Amino acid sequence: MKLVGRIPVEPLDDERLTNIERRVVAGATDAAAARPVHAPRRYVGFAMAAVAAVVAGVIGWRLGGTTEPAPVVGEALPIKVDTQTERATLDIGDAVIQSDPATVFVVTRPAGGVLVAMTRGKVELEVGKRGDRAPLVVRAGDTDVIVVGTHFTVDYGDGTGDVDVRVTEGVVKVVRHRQEVRVAAGQAWQSGRGVLALADVGGPHGPSAATGAQGATAAAGTIAATDPQRSGSGLEIDMGTAPDVLHNRTAQVPDQRVPGGPRSGSGATSGSGATSGSGATGARNVTEDPKDPMRDIKKLIRSQRVEPALDVGKEDAQAIGEYHKIIREQDGEAESRAFYSIAVLQHLRLGRNADALNTLDGYFRRFAQGKRYTDYLPALWLRVRVLCLQTIDDRCRAAAYRYAHEVSGTPAAAVAERLTLTE
Amino acid sequence: MTAAAYVEDVLLVDRCLTGEPAATRELFRRHKSRVHACLFRVLGSNRDMDDLLQEAFLQVFQSLRGWRAEASLATWVDRVSVRVAYRYLSQRGRRVQTEVLVDDEAGPAFEAGPGARRQMARDGVKRLYAVLDELSPAARLAFTLHEIDGRTLAETAALVGSTVTATKLRVWRARKKIETAAATDPVLSEFLEPRGADVIPFDDSKEAP
Repeated sequence: MKLVGRIPVEPLDDERLTNIERRVVAGATDAAAARPVHAPRRYVGFAMAAVAAVVAGVIGWRLGGTTEPAPVVGEALPIKVDTQTERATLDIGDAVIQSDPATVFVVTRPAGGVLVAMTRGKVELEVGKRGDRAPLVVRAGDTDVIVVGTHFTVDYGDGTGDVDVRVTEGVVKVVRHRQEVRVAAGQAWQSGRGVLALADVGGPHGPSAATGAQGATAAAGTIAATDPQRSGSGLEIDMGTAPDVLHNRTAQVPDQRVPGGPRSGSGATSGSGATSGSGATGARNVTEDPKDPMRDIKKLIRSQRVEPALDVGKEDAQAIGEYHKIIREQDGEAESRAFYSIAVLQHLRLGRNADALNTLDGYFRRFAQGKRYTDYLPALWLRVRVLCLQTIDDRCRAAAYRYAHEVSGTPAAAVAERLTLTE
Repeated sequence: MTAAAYVEDVLLVDRCLTGEPAATRELFRRHKSRVHACLFRVLGSNRDMDDLLQEAFLQVFQSLRGWRAEASLATWVDRVSVRVAYRYLSQRGRRVQTEVLVDDEAGPAFEAGPGARRQMARDGVKRLYAVLDELSPAARLAFTLHEIDGRTLAETAALVGSTVTATKLRVWRARKKIETAAATDPVLSEFLEPRGADVIPFDDSKEAP
């Protein structure tokens, strides 16, 4: 039964469409007019930002004497930054942007997202988990780096050449010429070279190892953050292909700072580094909280081998598409393998733990009865890993109990047993 | 979604939210074809199509403030369209086809020329949608979005707000129902499995997860 493309859509004639359009436009305009005016909310936001800025200023003044440059908090957007001869730190609430000398960029906040448009130089970003909010995008020339919560650098040199992206935590998406690639922690991406292992790229990381001529000084710096709409001074920023209207956007209030700041969220993405072709412990690139009382046992969990995903010779998203195809078309061992592989990629490569758990739940429902396939036990262990690396709670302990009940005499079984005894 | 497309969407929505008619018109023109195609494939040829299209866009504009720019605007518009279709199916008690089938007893004109084949294809479509009328709204949406609109199971599940497994099951049940109907309806059967075409047979034995 192949029906795609076989049922032609009856076209609507122009007159009918024009009538519909007229009614829709009238209705939409009425709806917009009937909505409450949102300006007051915006003013409340401005007031809150102003209070936050004053509080931050007072705190900074009271803590005076530090050699670190005080981050700018609560600036109204858009913000134009020209770091000139010194490094600078800009805190926009949901991200901290450190920039090298001679770096120029503009920050705007379209509809809850953040757009950092670079003209030249190098920035290092630490982005808190964005949760439900729209993504943060760094634009360097024709390259877009899309991030939902991570730590990475973007080096755009003098603003005319290649772009170099290096990810130290989490995952970012790099989009260039409509091609999208995922760059995970421990990887780099360079225009012209694509994705590389960070170790293979060499060279220093971060803005402190600046690329510019004046990059040697990494001392305390100041930031020249100006609102181009108000001051009219400063450099003209080339916004690339972004619509002109972006230049004319009215200033908006930045989001409130997430409790704990970006740093607390940036380590939440689970470790990556698993390749589809080889086994992985996933222990690399996972930020550990030194105060976590469960740190040792989590370390043990990470050190256990995770059965690798089926190698279909494709990148993550495409690979998942292939797995879905296998699930649709095949049965038994192959279907089990594909199911499991999706969960592995979701957990280890994409950091989508909730999805990984859903997939695993689906796996156990699907294969609840009958023959147990090769990936049944690895799937049980993966479930322990996903749950217990998040929180060691009853759910984690139940998963560990189930695993320990099925497997004995292996290091993973010992870890599972230990997990069941934790309080 | 590229950042450029994302920014364009965001700015267009911003303009729509201020009630700017030009922006509203632009959004309508950008998405009218996909909304119409989506509604048509779900509901089939339908006398209420104009009203439904209008309703879908009014819903889009009324809830535009709720768009959180996580997915592309197109995906979000699709979700609204699917919701409108679902409501329509629910209110109509599943009965959507308004056109009367003619010549129901006629067998397939296997030896006929291209004109007759086109007519038979049209009849096949009508009979297919007649069977779809018997399905629950959720099953109909899952089947039409996946099998006719060509969306993946994951996309379909996201659009109907269900899990992939549940969606897969609904599609599977709908296919079974259609196959059962086709077993006694040569026109539908010929439409679903045209002779000589490279068609992958539906694996009846496979258990849906």
